[in-house]
Amino acid sequence: MGAAARREALTASAGARAKAAGRLWELDVVGRVWHFFTSVRLALVLILVMTAAALAGTLLDQAAPSVVADKQAYAQWLEEARGRYGVWTDVFNFLQLFNVFHTLWFKLLIGLLTTNIIICSLNRWKGVWATAFQNRIRMGDAFFDHSRYRAQLDAAMPMNVAAERVRRALSRSRYRVATEVEEESVAVYADRNRFSRFGTFLAHLSIVMILAGTVIGGMWGFKDSEFIVPEGTTREVGNGTNLSVGLEHFADEYWLEGPPKDFRSELVIYENGVEVKRGIVRVNSPLSYKGVRFHQAFFGQSAVINVKDEAGEVLYNDTLPLAWQTTEGGRPVGSFALPGRDLGVYVIGPESGVDDPLVPAGEMRLELYRQNSDRLVATENISQGKTKNVAGLDFTFEREKRFTGLQVVKDPGVNIIWAASTLMVVGLVAMFYFPHRRLWALCKRRPDGSTEVRLGMTAQRDMSLSGEFNSLRDRVGAALGIAPTTGAPGEGGS
Amino acid sequence: MYALSQYAFAVGLAALSLAMFLYVLHVLGARALTALSFANGGSMTLSPAFDVAGRYATILTVNAFVFITACLAFRWEASGHGPFSNMWEFSVAFAWGALALYLYFELRYRLRTLALLVLPIALGMLVYATTVPSDIQPLVPALQNNLLLTVHVAVAIIAYGAFALAFGAAVLFLIQRKDSIRWLPRSTVLDEMGYKAVMVGFPMMALVIILGALWADIAWGTYWSWDPKETASLVTWLIYGAYLHARVIRGWRGDRSAFLLVLGFGATLFTYFGNLFFGGLHSYA
Repeated sequence: MGAAARREALTASAGARAKAAGRLWELDVVGRVWHFFTSVRLALVLILVMTAAALAGTLLDQAAPSVVADKQAYAQWLEEARGRYGVWTDVFNFLQLFNVFHTLWFKLLIGLLTTNIIICSLNRWKGVWATAFQNRIRMGDAFFDHSRYRAQLDAAMPMNVAAERVRRALSRSRYRVATEVEEESVAVYADRNRFSRFGTFLAHLSIVMILAGTVIGGMWGFKDSEFIVPEGTTREVGNGTNLSVGLEHFADEYWLEGPPKDFRSELVIYENGVEVKRGIVRVNSPLSYKGVRFHQAFFGQSAVINVKDEAGEVLYNDTLPLAWQTTEGGRPVGSFALPGRDLGVYVIGPESGVDDPLVPAGEMRLELYRQNSDRLVATENISQGKTKNVAGLDFTFEREKRFTGLQVVKDPGVNIIWAASTLMVVGLVAMFYFPHRRLWALCKRRPDGSTEVRLGMTAQRDMSLSGEFNSLRDRVGAALGIAPTTGAPGEGGS
Repeated sequence: MYALSQYAFAVGLAALSLAMFLYVLHVLGARALTALSFANGGSMTLSPAFDVAGRYATILTVNAFVFITACLAFRWEASGHGPFSNMWEFSVAFAWGALALYLYFELRYRLRTLALLVLPIALGMLVYATTVPSDIQPLVPALQNNLLLTVHVAVAIIAYGAFALAFGAAVLFLIQRKDSIRWLPRSTVLDEMGYKAVMVGFPMMALVIILGALWADIAWGTYWSWDPKETASLVTWLIYGAYLHARVIRGWRGDRSAFLLVLGFGATLFTYFGNLFFGGLHSYA
């Protein structure tokens, strides 16, 4: 990153001027803030702190944002964490390390880095532009005396012939060549990959774009990770859309060896109640309508339950997804309330894959609680197709059905993110795989009719260019009829 | 095809072990000889025997690379998808990447010393592969995206290989500080070698993360969820990003930069093995 090096140099020079005059404090506030944000050192510190934060976020268990928002749930979460982290729990909690990526200080860090990137980019724009596009063709003797990589070749041919050969040799090395002819000398400037200089801007600004994309997605998009639709039912998407989704059929298939092969939901999308699209959603192929996407996330069992009171009036009649798991036994469970009766009803299905003694296959277990006091009122198993009177009400378990769990997403920022990602890769590839190279040459007429050819290349801070320079020197030398100089260093100075 | 793949694996492993032995011989020989020639005050010439050891080491490494390539190709043919879907396949692929990058750098810069650090990594991956089940497993639904599976992981392997190489160069650099060891390459050469490896690996790692995000967005509807493997890969990328900036800051050049490369490779391994420690969305591998 020679460009980064120059950025530091620029920064240094701006500060140095003020310092030299002993008046850094004289820079106005804006100037000082600007100066602070132009520092590569600041960038490095910010990257390292972010790295450490992200590492903490990887190594430590992270509480879900919904848990952190709920004081009681978070206290409980902390208690569980205490078992793992002991006395450190309070330290980590104080530093908010259990929720790194959603804390204010992490966002502040991102804000600082963004500012740093933008100001550094603005600060360097002119310099990079000049390096890429505004190079002098003619350099004086002093340049060829002092440049980091330099060589002098003696060509036994007239100046114009030598200059033409130099031009052609550089052209053949895929350099772009410009010449400036004067009476006694021909100046040559050659470069390649000059657009590579702008790779750094693409790479850095793409980070800002990605962050902007996440902000836009967060503000104008929504994400519902637990959108459950039982077979044969339709559910509204909400979130400001007029869409609803019906599940016609869910299927899961398995390989002979055991692992899952396919999960698919046959969905119908309605807009204002009118069918507008239908299709099959699989794990790697979502369904999309007007920017709202439906992804296969999970699935499970549901039970069609019917509840009537003493008079035969229907209190509840719905397909209830058993989307949760009981803490003991890990059985699928779902619940609904009968508010008029002050009853909460839990429907528990059989544990999958085993012969469950508590809930045999083909049965559901009902647990009725008082809503106010959480007091258990009744427990009863009920077979499919049967009706049972529990706590004075007639419960019918009509049949089992599947439900699908979808991730419903609308993210207007996602295209910005892909555009930014493309720019980042283009920028990085340009920077690192096609670096900008510049070479100057001066062909001077000698009194004896021969020509002195001088070559020079400026140093780059990040890496040695001696390999590149030596091979150019040898090619130019060969074009001028000079055998490659073995062992002679192309590097001046040390 | 599966059997062919296993045979190729065995030959590759054997060739690489032998190559490793010859590299050690080559470097130790060069070392002994340097000491000798300095003791005699004579000029340094490499003994033909050790030179031959080095040449055969290279030839064997090329062979090991060819066999590992064949192993992966046969397996690809047998399973019908890129050989990147479980730990066995991914370990062999990691070794392949490290070898590919190593050979590229050896043939381009004529430096065999790096083999001492990079080859053990490749060898370690192959040996590790022998300890995990090698049978071909059918793909679970999340992995059933042939294009992304192939490109995402293939790019990851190149990035990891490059970082392994940078690690090798950095360790030698830290050993070689002040150019005090005559039989090792000069520290400026090692520093540049590490940098060049990162130049190859850094854009690739960016691409790995981006392709992973793209895939997550297609399969799960969310391009980033701070899943442990996602975060670990970001940490890795950030460390190399820090390195690229550190390398041009006064006071950070040299030792501290080299240390970042060692740290970066630690993070790379952590990213790679991460799914063994913690669950998350990558836990199928």
